[in-house]
Amino acid sequence: MLRLGGKELFSRFLIGTARYPSPETMRQAIEASGSEVVTVSLRRYGSGKWDSNAFLNLLKEMQLNILPNTAGCYSVKDALTVSRMAREVFNTDWIKLEVIGDDYNLQPDPFGTVEAAKILIKEGFEVFPYMTDDLVFAERLLDAGCKVLMPWAAPIGSGRGPANPHSLRTFRARFKDVPCIIDAGLGKPSHAAAVMEMGFDGVLLNTAVSLARDPVEMARAFAMAIDAGRKAYQAGMMPEREFATPSTPVVGTPFWHQEKK
Amino acid sequence: MTKGNTCGIAGAGIIGRLTGYLLAKKGWRVTLFDDGDLAATGTTSYAAAGMIAPYCELEYAEPVVARLGNPSLAMWQQLLPQIGGDVYCQAAGSLVISHPQDRNELMRLVRKMDEHTGNLVMRRVEGAELRELEPDIDDAFMDGLYLPLEGQIDSRRLLVVLGEWLQKYATLNLGVHVRSADDGRIDTAISAFDFDMVLDTRGLKGKTQLPGLRGVRGELVWVHAPEVRLNRPVRMMHPRYPIYVVPRPGGQFILGATAIDDEDLSPISVRGTLELLSAAYAMHSGFSEGRVIETMTQCRPAFPNNLPRIRHGGRLIRVNGLYRHGYLFSPKIAELVISLIEGGKPDAAFAELYEAHP
Repeated sequence: MLRLGGKELFSRFLIGTARYPSPETMRQAIEASGSEVVTVSLRRYGSGKWDSNAFLNLLKEMQLNILPNTAGCYSVKDALTVSRMAREVFNTDWIKLEVIGDDYNLQPDPFGTVEAAKILIKEGFEVFPYMTDDLVFAERLLDAGCKVLMPWAAPIGSGRGPANPHSLRTFRARFKDVPCIIDAGLGKPSHAAAVMEMGFDGVLLNTAVSLARDPVEMARAFAMAIDAGRKAYQAGMMPEREFATPSTPVVGTPFWHQEKK
Repeated sequence: MTKGNTCGIAGAGIIGRLTGYLLAKKGWRVTLFDDGDLAATGTTSYAAAGMIAPYCELEYAEPVVARLGNPSLAMWQQLLPQIGGDVYCQAAGSLVISHPQDRNELMRLVRKMDEHTGNLVMRRVEGAELRELEPDIDDAFMDGLYLPLEGQIDSRRLLVVLGEWLQKYATLNLGVHVRSADDGRIDTAISAFDFDMVLDTRGLKGKTQLPGLRGVRGELVWVHAPEVRLNRPVRMMHPRYPIYVVPRPGGQFILGATAIDDEDLSPISVRGTLELLSAAYAMHSGFSEGRVIETMTQCRPAFPNNLPRIRHGGRLIRVNGLYRHGYLFSPKIAELVISLIEGGKPDAAFAELYEAHP
């Protein structure tokens, strides 16, 4: 069971809603993923007629937890405006806070993110901050009152998988009592399994599923990988060794086969 | 299937007009109703750029898009001379280019085309070969895809020519609001009319009788830029929607089109304008001295799977959800609808498009 923002979740897979071939394919992929949390960008549906928007209504009908995001916001002010709007539209205090600092790799702006998080938390929001794997950045967010951390594995949409596994491991070890979700940069199910094996609490992704040739099947594959990674983490993996160690006893093997000169 | 020969059509966009034309040619007595005008101003068909690009469109679509669109250009080439009126039709292929930053989007399109159509429909073009096709495209674009089997038609001219033909050889009631289209009957603001067969091709205006239909906003800009020379439609990869530049005779260009999942007909957004114009300017600096002659916003009718749907049974067929593919799909869809009327059976090759009335 994963506790996030005051809710208990069975699934550790959080899924995005952008860039599917059609709303129907999206619906099927989300169903196949088993996700209980979907993230959605309000900016993309910009006219303000939220109640009659067929796409948003389809999401609402799925009866999942909606995690609105502030994708595309480059300033604290923008992020605050979108967050407050999202609270009205979706009737939720949850917000995935993204304050982008760099146009090229969509890297978060740590200063802006912390500043916005402080204000939003005072206003009663549950802030899910999109961030890098920087430890100081994480500390500041916790100081601001965040109860969950969402470091990237690699830049958004790059699909490269964990770019720096060492720093992700350090991150996990440092914040072992805080739910940590990997947000962005994963391209294939093995990436998701790898970060779950490290002990991360969950995975949030979007384009790895929506841009797959068959998004529904890919959603299923990710769900299995996330589950496998989690189980492996709980089961405790055997330590790695430098050399091969036979798993069957060598007694009875002629000594000239045991030692290779 | 149908006894008799009167057909009423609610909605005079491209699918209504083309199907009406083809039915009239076959001897049906066709009557169309639409609250619009001869040019079809205010319809999705009027806003469209008339691209016939079955392979490029695979980027965000199901494979059936290519199967429906595959015969389209050849069908138009055969139809247009029969319809008359000298409608501009270009079959010089189309070109897809990308900024170096969006190159992976281009690779994704290549992969999708490979999987669904084989590599016969496209050719990778680099450097000199790209310049040979489009000598004036900015040097920053080093490679692209050439799709020789794609083209475009002058959609606005076609609507007028079809409208005039229907005024002469059928009955085209313009400025008449359709209240509902039902089995054998069209109820209008004037009165109700009975027919042996009714076609409902109203697009979003028919939404109340087609639950699930939604509007997807698109924005376009028309530019007059006599300095710019492009030999064919050029598409530029973009992370959210493809941006195309379609050259028309007389130095005119259509830049399109955004895709925003929202039923919103308000004027073009600043962001949409910036994205479309900057894409064109990046492609060819000659656009800087061009003149913006028109901006256009319209909503495309789409079902949740973004595929067209032919709902049938009794004396009523509803055709809707052609989404961003009105001109690409209408020749084949019109053919499917007519064979459904005359033969009574759906075409098994496109089974996923048919549905019985609830």
